[in-house]
Amino acid sequence: MLEYQYDGTFPGLLTAIFDAFNRKEQPDAILRPGAQGLLFASVYAVETSEEKADRVWAGIKRVGGNTTCEHLYHAFLSLDEQVEMAIFSYSKHLFACNAPVMTDLAHPDVLKVHKLDRMVLREAHRVLMFLRFEQAADGTYFAPFAPQYDVIPLVIGHFKSRFADQSWIIYDTKRGYGFYFNTQTIEQITIENPTFGSATGKLRQGTEHPDEDKWHELWRSYFKHISIAERKNLTLQRNFMPKRFWKYLTEKRL
Amino acid sequence: METLQKLEILSSAAKYDVSCSSSGSSRMNTPGGIGNAAKAGICHSFTEDGRCISLLKVLFTNSCKYDCAYCINRRSNDIPRAAFTVKELVDITINFYRRNYIEGLFLSSGVVKSADYTMERLANVAKQLRLEHKFNGYIHLKAIPGASPELIHMAGLYADRLSVNIEIPSEPNLQLLAPEKDFQSVLNPMGLIKTGIEQSREERRIMRKSPVFTPAGQSTQLIIGATPDSDRQILTLASGLYTQKSLKRVYYSGYNPTNLYDKRLPALAAPPLRRENRLYQADWLLRFYQFGVNEIVNDTNPDLDLEIDPKLGYALRNPHLFPIDVNRADYHMLLRIPGVGVKSAKMILAARKFRRLNSANLQKIGVVMKRAQYFITCNELPAASVQDLSPERVRSILTMSERRKQLPDAVQLGLWG
Ligand code: SF4
Repeated sequence: MLEYQYDGTFPGLLTAIFDAFNRKEQPDAILRPGAQGLLFASVYAVETSEEKADRVWAGIKRVGGNTTCEHLYHAFLSLDEQVEMAIFSYSKHLFACNAPVMTDLAHPDVLKVHKLDRMVLREAHRVLMFLRFEQAADGTYFAPFAPQYDVIPLVIGHFKSRFADQSWIIYDTKRGYGFYFNTQTIEQITIENPTFGSATGKLRQGTEHPDEDKWHELWRSYFKHISIAERKNLTLQRNFMPKRFWKYLTEKRL
Repeated sequence: METLQKLEILSSAAKYDVSCSSSGSSRMNTPGGIGNAAKAGICHSFTEDGRCISLLKVLFTNSCKYDCAYCINRRSNDIPRAAFTVKELVDITINFYRRNYIEGLFLSSGVVKSADYTMERLANVAKQLRLEHKFNGYIHLKAIPGASPELIHMAGLYADRLSVNIEIPSEPNLQLLAPEKDFQSVLNPMGLIKTGIEQSREERRIMRKSPVFTPAGQSTQLIIGATPDSDRQILTLASGLYTQKSLKRVYYSGYNPTNLYDKRLPALAAPPLRRENRLYQADWLLRFYQFGVNEIVNDTNPDLDLEIDPKLGYALRNPHLFPIDVNRADYHMLLRIPGVGVKSAKMILAARKFRRLNSANLQKIGVVMKRAQYFITCNELPAASVQDLSPERVRSILTMSERRKQLPDAVQLGLWG
């Protein structure tokens, strides 16, 4: 049994793929730090190299095009237990066919990558749906979110073009980093002394804009009155809007 | 009156308009502006009735000079009336938008003074949002029947979508419930909008900078169950609207018992949700599955079967077309297999170029094998097909497992938006 260990980064995984090809090896597992190792396996420690990673990435791009690259990267973000091996086998298949294989859905690893890609994109879409801004006293709009996968970077562009004339912060409270947009440029930030509650991300009393409560009240009232009582169907509501998002929702938060 | 109170009244009054879609437009933000439209639309919340909230859906006013039997806003109802000012509406829209509550505004209204007076007010809200506030989010306006072509044209220049609701699916029943209205008054603005869209498309082919006219097209709504109109009448009307008026969407709204004092209306205990759901499924067959109306409803079956979905109904009425070989059949036929949706049909086409597909592959691609198994052959020994078992038998097997699920309107998932 042969086990590759890498540093858990995407370039690290690409390096692992490079090494496997180079050493003509077929690892039985490619493991990130903290993953459950194989019994009695011989271990090869991958040393992340930007250069090797770039070469693999360029190869995937040349054969599979940008869409393949995106699929693989999104799948990686899922942190699924088998994602490394799926990406490795997918790449082997891709290079063997020397043509895009993303629609070869009867191939188990292509299907796996396809499904993980969809899953991660669905979570990214949910950020677009359920993220809520609150205006802080200084005028900045603040939105906390803790997506299941690290997808905030995928949606920043959407918010930048949409809310181009307001300064905002979108903060991943689970991963402790976010993005600040000052109406011109975006920078990645970490907040050392948060003025928001850690559970909901709601701004603390006194730090929000004086009008903020008024808009909350109007939105909640709208939310209530637009529903038709005779058609009440809470199961349907929960299917579309899983409970784990409620803590961000102005209309659902207590 | 306080804005909060107005919002309560004017959103409650708007809730029976089921459309809340923000799709179909890809309007971009402008320099210094706010907002853009997402082509596929985005839902931002879901109400307790499980419907998507994408837009701020309100009436400009719930006062109305008409007295349509089925409408809560009819003039003979003694209810609190309110009207927004343009500024109030603009403020709420922009502030909701900035907080990512909504994709934009869906503005409708009762008719006050005249059709023109009302239409002008609606168009002005859109105009202010676009010009003074550089708002590029989604705007859906109601076109008021009887309004002048100029005003409808102006509305179309600022709106992403316009809609005129037919509400009652047949002329005689419309006459009965809304004697002041007729079909022609609704069809006229639809024609104007259609021409506007075609003209602007033509102009933009020649000059790319020519103004867009309702890029997300037009839609309408039909009330289901307030009148004895059959599903066949309803779907024939819908299909005509899609093909002749190029409508983007027809919405079906199960009649919610209101104005019970009016004896022209049926006494329903609850809105006919199941029928409404079946109509949406049939509508999808028309729009995305290449079905003709006559394949869904006909002389012998003027109404949809409430127990099974219309596609399964079609398959059971036409067992001679099955089983279909998924490794050979064209897209059109793949779409007719119960359990195969548009997505999985496309995936089958793509995946079978690489290798022949077996039932495990199909299952993993997303085909609902529990249903599809009676209607397909694939790369392995065929299971018992609908021909071997008889349509009646397949029907009873499938409705049994359906009933066990007991999920109210589960199929409706994915149909909204
Ligand atoms: S015209 Fe419209 S708002 Fe007025 S009563 Fe008829 S349906 Fe209701």
